[in-house]
Amino acid sequence: MRVEPFDTQRHMEFTRRATFVAGGVSCLFVGVGYRLWDLQVARHDEFRAQADENQFNTRLIAPLRGDIYDRYGNVVANNVPDFRVLVIPERTDNLRDTLVRLAAVMPLEAEQIDRILNKAKRQRSFLPILVKDKLDWETYASVNFHSTEMRGVVSEIGASRAYAEDAGAAFVVGYVGSATADDITRKREAADTDEAAEKAELLYRQPGYKVGKSGLERTLDDRLQGDPGSVRVQVNAHGRVIETYKDNAQPPSQGTAIGLTIDKDLQAKTLEVLASNYGEYPDEALGPHPLSASAVVLDIITGDVIVMASTPAFDPNVFSRGIETKLWRELNESPLKPLLNKPVQGTYPPGSTFKLLTAIAAQEQGIDPSTTVYCNGTYRFGGRDFTCWKKEGHGRLDMEGSIKHSCDVYYWHLATQLGIDQIAEVAQRYGLGQTYDLGIGAEAEGIVPSQAWKRAYYRNDPPNQTWFPGETLSVAIGQGAVTASPLQLAVMSARIATHKAVTPRLVRAIGGSLVPEPLFEELPGDPQNVKVVQDGMNAVVNEWGTAARSSLLPDFKMAGKTGTSQVVGLRRDPVTGRRLKNEEIPWQFRDHALFVAFAPYENPRYACSVVVEHGGSGSKAAGPRARDIMRAVLEKDPSNYDKHQFWKGQQDLTEVAMLGGAR
Amino acid sequence: MTIVIEASGKRNKLRKRLADLNSPLIILLTLIASAGVLALYSVSDGSWTPYAMPHAIRFGLAMVVMIGIGVTPLKFWLSLAYPGYFFALFLLLLVPVIGATNMGAQRWLELGGFQLQPSELMKVALVLALARYYHGLEFKQVSSITGLIPPLAMIGAPVGLVFLQPDLGTAILMGLSGVTVLLLAGISWRLVTLGVIAGVGGAIAGVQSGLIKAYQWERITAFLNPDADPLGANYHPNQSKIAIGSGGVDGKGYMQGTQSQLDFLPEMQTDFIFTIIGEELGLYGAIGLLGLYLAVFFTTLQIAMSAKSHFGRLLAFGIAVTFVSYVLINTGMVMGLAPVVGVPLPLVSYGGTVMLSMMAGFGLVMSAWIDRSQDTLRTSGFGS
Repeated sequence: MRVEPFDTQRHMEFTRRATFVAGGVSCLFVGVGYRLWDLQVARHDEFRAQADENQFNTRLIAPLRGDIYDRYGNVVANNVPDFRVLVIPERTDNLRDTLVRLAAVMPLEAEQIDRILNKAKRQRSFLPILVKDKLDWETYASVNFHSTEMRGVVSEIGASRAYAEDAGAAFVVGYVGSATADDITRKREAADTDEAAEKAELLYRQPGYKVGKSGLERTLDDRLQGDPGSVRVQVNAHGRVIETYKDNAQPPSQGTAIGLTIDKDLQAKTLEVLASNYGEYPDEALGPHPLSASAVVLDIITGDVIVMASTPAFDPNVFSRGIETKLWRELNESPLKPLLNKPVQGTYPPGSTFKLLTAIAAQEQGIDPSTTVYCNGTYRFGGRDFTCWKKEGHGRLDMEGSIKHSCDVYYWHLATQLGIDQIAEVAQRYGLGQTYDLGIGAEAEGIVPSQAWKRAYYRNDPPNQTWFPGETLSVAIGQGAVTASPLQLAVMSARIATHKAVTPRLVRAIGGSLVPEPLFEELPGDPQNVKVVQDGMNAVVNEWGTAARSSLLPDFKMAGKTGTSQVVGLRRDPVTGRRLKNEEIPWQFRDHALFVAFAPYENPRYACSVVVEHGGSGSKAAGPRARDIMRAVLEKDPSNYDKHQFWKGQQDLTEVAMLGGAR
Repeated sequence: MTIVIEASGKRNKLRKRLADLNSPLIILLTLIASAGVLALYSVSDGSWTPYAMPHAIRFGLAMVVMIGIGVTPLKFWLSLAYPGYFFALFLLLLVPVIGATNMGAQRWLELGGFQLQPSELMKVALVLALARYYHGLEFKQVSSITGLIPPLAMIGAPVGLVFLQPDLGTAILMGLSGVTVLLLAGISWRLVTLGVIAGVGGAIAGVQSGLIKAYQWERITAFLNPDADPLGANYHPNQSKIAIGSGGVDGKGYMQGTQSQLDFLPEMQTDFIFTIIGEELGLYGAIGLLGLYLAVFFTTLQIAMSAKSHFGRLLAFGIAVTFVSYVLINTGMVMGLAPVVGVPLPLVSYGGTVMLSMMAGFGLVMSAWIDRSQDTLRTSGFGS
């Protein structure tokens, strides 16, 4: 091989070039050093803050919702531990893969995975999404164990809303659900500052956070929600909390506790009574019939709604959990309307219970209650015969007797001497045709017909609608256009019992302190007029009137009035022309059965209304149920506690009631 | 008898060469590797496993290899330059045929139980071969077409092969050190300018024609716009900047780095190891480490300058440039100055192959140092 001679020229060139390259390298090192200075000195604060932002996180701690109690402090709604699994999309390597892996350790359907993926597209990726809640302990523990291998999966123990199953208070309490976009918008708009709005949104978007959706849960949502707490935590890149700085943690404060006026036990008892078969159709050939009924019991001194029951009812827990479509459809399409809060949303022709109001209106127009009317079973008006429910006639009756026997002819007779507007005014005064803003959503107003009402109803189509005197005849016995809700009927009964403007309420205590008891004003009109009606109601129950079988004698003296209201007009056999009995026609065409009552007669404390849809007759279906409900109510009344052992074995209710200021 | 004398002569020679080793270089390299052990110990939450201990052992072995290469006469390496280069090229060609695919790239050869990354071997072999080439080339030939074609081919072939694996980082590094040797050999500035223009043109053509893959281009350009795609291409450089910047002058303290210890930077034992030094030991630690690297560079430069043979000069300096290229690209990468191209920090990042190739390179530097006074080198066969 060739041997290269030493070459001065290329050595010199190398030295020059090497110096050049070394200079270049040095410059680059200076550049790197400058960058270090730039990052670590000049912009240190900025990066320090970013590192803190990475590792420290202020977590909002969702507050517990306020508990809801009945009037004796029994839990109606509270919070129970909830094992759940969340996923933080940002922290997963691939959300779909992570969910698929998760599905191997817990029940998770493809449909649910799609739902989560959809949700992830719609919200910021650092916000956690609820994968599943209400897990049993084994599943939770297994996910917890595996979640260390799955970036972005978080398992935690939260709180979920639980409703006492036996409370039957679904309609009163309502239920909670996840916040919708509308809920969030509304909450943001209600916030004073941007910061508060942001915080509220973060809270509302927390998986598993629930807001009130209906009933008092919705109306009193702001008070029930409470204030979120916050805690500073150190997290690693996977979102796992490394350290929690408890020192400066701000604990959440639970929402305000709400005390209802409802008595949970009486509510349960009422539901049981409503759902029991009272043999209303002894000739029933078609087997068992459906029962769709409601009842309201009021404390007439305070206006407290002691019982507000509707059957069939539903379990609010299924709504809190997130109801399945199938069950929802079932509830929604049932002819028994389980989703309808019948005590306030159902309206029915009041039937004979309305006669009480007609009687008061008549006295106010100067008709002497001792004036008698002879009932021979029919009443001729406008060239037509009206038939009394007792077609053989009641004979001669004064006003008290007309109530006792519920004679139609008597009231038709009165109707001819009364204007519809005079009846309407009394009906309004005694609680019909209005709502009471109980805070449980849509209350039906019902209809109290008057001349103005008729004009407005027909809106001049056909034009110039006027009230026909014949229509007054229908209204006088609670038929025709007049309708009322069970709540309104209970209020009517309470106002008749006291001659005061009793107004119902559902909330008795907020945050441990009692809502001041209202003082009801005396109603306008002569109390003497009402006295006749009260006596009539006493006779109905206790003096062999239409509801003799509903008497509580000798224990209590209850006054009441039956009502049987027609759903369809005339029901005659197409061949023989015979009037058909209730049990001979399909359930949904049978008469509604109603009963209103108050007790004790001498010193009234409770008012009650019972409506059994298509129950046939007030005296058979509604009266006996009201009797049993009122018996329970009266026996539980603190003043009767010693005498009746019905509620023995519970707490000393007298004392609780005293503390609560019920008496 | 003669055999014994010869053997004892050889022993004396070996002792003399061992005594002649450049101790500052050995000390500097050991310090850098120790910094690596320190950093890796912290990365694994204060544990010798799985990184720190293997790293230390590998460095010990690599040091033996370095000394072994260093005590071998420089003329032996001169004679091995071309065969070595072609052997490395042969292995590179084998990679696409029998290589193992790992994370979408074929870089490895499985050879009888251990893995070999031919591109690492080539990094040293290329410098060696180029030094050999210019050692035998008259200066006036350097800038001529005939003198230019062989070295360009020598650079182009392996760079192209590595680029196609695809391993952009190594291709860039290899190309950079090859071209630097050309520059040191004295090719005219006009050619250098032309080369730069051709390089830029080639890069543009590469992108246009789709030869550079989309993900490579994204990674190359991502650093220019750090706010874009913070969870994708820019996640690592952004988090690493935060880590280093938040370290400040004094650092957060050894094993106290929040970014590093809380996993905001996954897989940091490899390419992003510099981050933990910047975060935990601050500006002092980072500048200290850079100072060590610069010291290695200048020590090697001094060795190159002192070599009387052109082969020794080009070889030593070529290795030095390869070494600092690693350092500059890596630190630039973790601080958002350069694209993330997968270049480790030599002797500090966890990984045996790069350590071995770099230490082998420094073995050659050492050999050049010991034989610095030989102005001419006789190329010798294996036996002589």
